Amino acid sequence: MNAREKILSKIRSAQTQSSAPVTSAHLAQHPRGPLPPAPTDLVACFKERALKLSSDVLETHSRAEVPTLLARYLRGKNLPVSGVCWPSLAGLPWSAAGLDMPSRPAKNSDLVGVTGAFCAIAETGTLMMLSGPDTPATTSLLPETHVAVLDPRRIVATMEDAWDLLRKEFKQPPRAVNFISGPSRTADIEQTVTLGAHGPYRVLLILASL
Amino acid sequence: MQNTSLQFRNQVTIKLADARLQDALSRLQSRFVEGRSAVISEIADLEEARTAAATIRDRVINNLEHWLVHFEQQATACGAIVHWAETGADVNRIVAGIAAQHGVKTAAKSKSMVSEECGLNDALELAGVKVMETDLGEYILQLAKEAPSHIVAPVVHKNKEEISDLFAEKHHLPRKTGIAELCREAREVLRPAFLNADMGISGANFLVAETGSALIVTNEGNGRLVTTLPRVHVAITGIEKVVPTLEDVTTLLRLLPRSATGQSITNYVSVLTGKKNAEDHDGPEHFHIILLDNGRSSLVGSEMQEMLRCIRCGACMNHCPVYQNIGGHAYGWVYPGPMGSILTPLLGGIEKSPDLPNASTFCGACAAVCPVKIPLPDLLRKLREKQLQRGMKSWQETFLLKVWAWLALHPTIYAIATRIGVRLIRMMGGKEKLLHTLPGAGGWTDGRDFPAPSGKTFRELHKRGAGQ
Amino acid sequence: MRIGLFVTCLVDSMRPRIGFAAIKLLEAAGCKVVVPKLQTCCGQPGYNSGDRKSAEALALKFLAEFESFDYVVVPSGSCAGMIRVHYPSLFKDDPALLTRFTALGQRTCELTDFLANVAKPGKMPGNFQGTLTYHDSCSGLRELDVYKQPRALLTAMPGVTINEMVESTTCCGFGGTFSVKYGELSTRMADNKCQHIADTHADAIVGGDLGCLLNIEGRLRRNGDHATRVLHVAEVLSGLDEEA
Repeated sequence: MNAREKILSKIRSAQTQSSAPVTSAHLAQHPRGPLPPAPTDLVACFKERALKLSSDVLETHSRAEVPTLLARYLRGKNLPVSGVCWPSLAGLPWSAAGLDMPSRPAKNSDLVGVTGAFCAIAETGTLMMLSGPDTPATTSLLPETHVAVLDPRRIVATMEDAWDLLRKEFKQPPRAVNFISGPSRTADIEQTVTLGAHGPYRVLLILASL
Repeated sequence: MQNTSLQFRNQVTIKLADARLQDALSRLQSRFVEGRSAVISEIADLEEARTAAATIRDRVINNLEHWLVHFEQQATACGAIVHWAETGADVNRIVAGIAAQHGVKTAAKSKSMVSEECGLNDALELAGVKVMETDLGEYILQLAKEAPSHIVAPVVHKNKEEISDLFAEKHHLPRKTGIAELCREAREVLRPAFLNADMGISGANFLVAETGSALIVTNEGNGRLVTTLPRVHVAITGIEKVVPTLEDVTTLLRLLPRSATGQSITNYVSVLTGKKNAEDHDGPEHFHIILLDNGRSSLVGSEMQEMLRCIRCGACMNHCPVYQNIGGHAYGWVYPGPMGSILTPLLGGIEKSPDLPNASTFCGACAAVCPVKIPLPDLLRKLREKQLQRGMKSWQETFLLKVWAWLALHPTIYAIATRIGVRLIRMMGGKEKLLHTLPGAGGWTDGRDFPAPSGKTFRELHKRGAGQ
Repeated sequence: MRIGLFVTCLVDSMRPRIGFAAIKLLEAAGCKVVVPKLQTCCGQPGYNSGDRKSAEALALKFLAEFESFDYVVVPSGSCAGMIRVHYPSLFKDDPALLTRFTALGQRTCELTDFLANVAKPGKMPGNFQGTLTYHDSCSGLRELDVYKQPRALLTAMPGVTINEMVESTTCCGFGGTFSVKYGELSTRMADNKCQHIADTHADAIVGGDLGCLLNIEGRLRRNGDHATRVLHVAEVLSGLDEEA
C-alpha cells in the first residue's frame, strides 16, 4: 500500500458515516452560508470599504478621462508617470495625458501597474482578478503603485455573488483568482500595521462608468 | 520541528521573568483581542455564522475520504500533481524529490505551519536547496534561527529594537529604527529572492474540493509572489483542510481574518487551480499539492475529532490568559495556546506533553471565540482523563483525588474531616487570619497568602441553627 | 417557591457567612429555603482533573439530594455550571438520567442569576457604602451568562458605586488545582487581576465565586494590600459584609 492508500484506509475504517450522495448533492447545489445584509448602494458601500482599507478612490463618468485622473494623482504624490497597463486599457489616451504606459506584463523595474478587474466586491472593498493571457498577474503585484480601472456595474455585493459571476462566465476557475483588498501590509513588527510589504504600497481604484 | 513540550514548566519560569517578552505580549490585548472584537460585530449573527462554519467543517470530517478523493480528482484534472504524505519526513522527501526533478537551487517560501511540523527548511538545506522565508515574521525568525511563537503572528514575541539589531547585523546595512523603514528594507532584500527563486513553497489555508483549488490568505503579497513567479509551486497542507465548495470556503473566510487579525478580509486571497496555461505570462509550470497526515487521520471518528475543525485562526491563543502571560515558545512545538495544548499531545504523543493539557484554568475564553466552535476546554479535559487512565498523573495527585472523592461520597465522615481541617488551618492563620505557608501547597503560598477559613463549617453552624 | 440551597464545598469550609447570606437573600425574596444536610461537593475538582467516575458518583448523589426542589440555588458560578452544563454531559449515553439531569440543570441557578431573573426581589437588605469593582468568574460568565445580573442587583443599592476594572472578564488564575499545580503562572494571573483592581481605586473587590476571591485576596495581601476588602456578592447584597 502506498501512502495514499494507507491514509485513506485509516480514515475509512475510522469513519462512522460516509455517503457519496451527500457529497454530490452538496456540490451540485453549493448552498450559501449566512450572508450579511445586502447594501442598498453597492457603489457607495464599495467605496466606503475600499477607503477603509487605505485604497484611494477616484471616479469619472468617462473612461477616456482615466489617464488624466491618473496623471494628476501620480504627479500629486510625486510618483513616476510611467508604468505598464493591461491590453484592455491600451486604447486609452495615455500619452495625451503625459503618461508612458505600454501594454505589457510588469517587470520588476516597473513602478506603476494599471489593470482592470473581473469584478469587485462591495462587502469588503475588494477587487477580483483572474489570471490569463490578457490579464498578467505581475501588473498588480510587482509595481509599488497598483491602479485598477473598474466598471461600477461590475461591483457585486458579496464574494458569493462574485463566484456566481465566475461560474456564469467561465467553465472553470482560471489558474489564479486573486482577491485584492488594498495596499499590501504587514503587522509583524510590534503588531503595528505598516502599508507596503512585498506587494504594492498603494492601490488606486478608478471607478469609470460609460 | 522538535517537540520540547516536556520543558513546559521550566519554560514558564523563564518566560514569566522575560521582561522584553512580557512587554511584547502586552500588545496582544489591544491588537488581537480588541481588533477581533471591533470587526466581529460586522457579522450580523455571529452564532449563526459560527454554527455554519462548524457544520461545514464537520461535513468534511464526517466524509473525509470522499472529499479528499474529490479534491484530488479535480486538482489533477486541472493539471496539479497531488502527493500524499504520512509523516513530516515524507513531506520533506517529496519536496526534495520535486526540487531535484526540476533542478531547483533556491526556493522562496510563504508561511506554512505544516512545513514547521515537518522541519522542511532544514531538510531542504541538506538536500542542497536554499530556502528563503518571505513572510516578514518568518524571515525574521529565519535570520534569528528561532521558531515561531504564534501561528498567525510568528514574531509577536519580539520588539522593534530586537528586529533593528537583527537586520543591522545580518543585512550589513545601517541600522534602521522606524517600523516602516524596517519593512522597506525587508522588501528590498527579499524582492530578488522572489524574482530568482526556482521554486515557490506555500501552505494552503483551505483546499476547495469543488474546483481542486488551493486557497491562501496573506497580507504582504509574498503569498502571491511565490505562487506566481517561480516555475515550480509546491503547496503543503494537512488532510483536514479540504472544504467542499467555493461558497463553503467563503463562509469560513468571513470568520478567519476577523478571528485572526481583526481584519474584515485579508489583503490577498489567492485561489490557485492547476498550472500555467501555454498562453499565460505568469504562473508555475508545475503545481504540486502535498497532503500531510502526521496523525490527523487517527483523530477521525475519535472523541477528539472536533479538533480537526480548526482553521488555524489563532483566536484561541490570543484570548488565552495563559498564552498571554507566557507566549508561544513555552508550549514547545509548532502550535501554542489552547489548540496547541490539544494538537501537540495528539500528534506528538501525550507522553511527551504531560503539562500542556493541565496548564489551563478552563476559563473558556478560547471556546467563546473559536469560529468553528471547537469545545477546547472539553477536549483538554478528555486529555486529562486519558492521562489519569494511563497512570500518567503523579501518585500524590491521584491519591488526593481519590481521598477527596471518597470523602465527598461519605458525608458524615466528610463533615468530621472538614471540621477538623478548618480548625487546624484557622489556627495556622493566627491573628492575621492569613497563612503565609501551607504544607503541600507551595504552589499557592510561594506567591500568595492563603486567607484562613472562619474556623467552623457551614454545615455545623447551620445544624446548630442560624447565626454564624 | 421551595429552594434547595447548595452552599458548595468552598463556602462550607472557608466562609460559611456566604451560605447564610444566600439564605437571608432568598428568604427576603419570599422563598422557602431548605439546606440538604448531606451535601458535600459537586465533583468539579475531580472532574476537571480527569476523574469522570467520581464526578458521576457525586452527580448521582446530588441528584438524589436536590431533584425534588423547585429550584436549586448556588452561590457559585463554577458549581452551578458543573451542575447545569456538565452533569448532563456525564450521562449523555443514558437517556433516562440525561433527561433528569437536564431538567435539574435547567432549575439550577447561580445566586445572582436566580435573584435577578427568577425571584426578582425588592430592596436588598445590604447597606454597602462605597466603591466596588466586580470580577466576572469564568464559569458563571461563559457557561451561565452571568454578567448583568450581579451588576443590576448591586447598582440598585443606593450606597454602591461600581468602578469597572479593565479586563473584568479575564481569568484570575484560580482554576481549582491549577492554582497549586502551576502556581507561578497562577500567581502571575492573580497579580494581573490585582493590578487591574488597584487601578480602579475601589474600596472592595466583589465576585460570585469564592475560589476566585480567595485567590485574589491571597495575592492582594501578599502584595501588602490589607485595605481592599474582598467580598462575595451575597455578602454585599445581604448586609452580612458588615459583620466583623
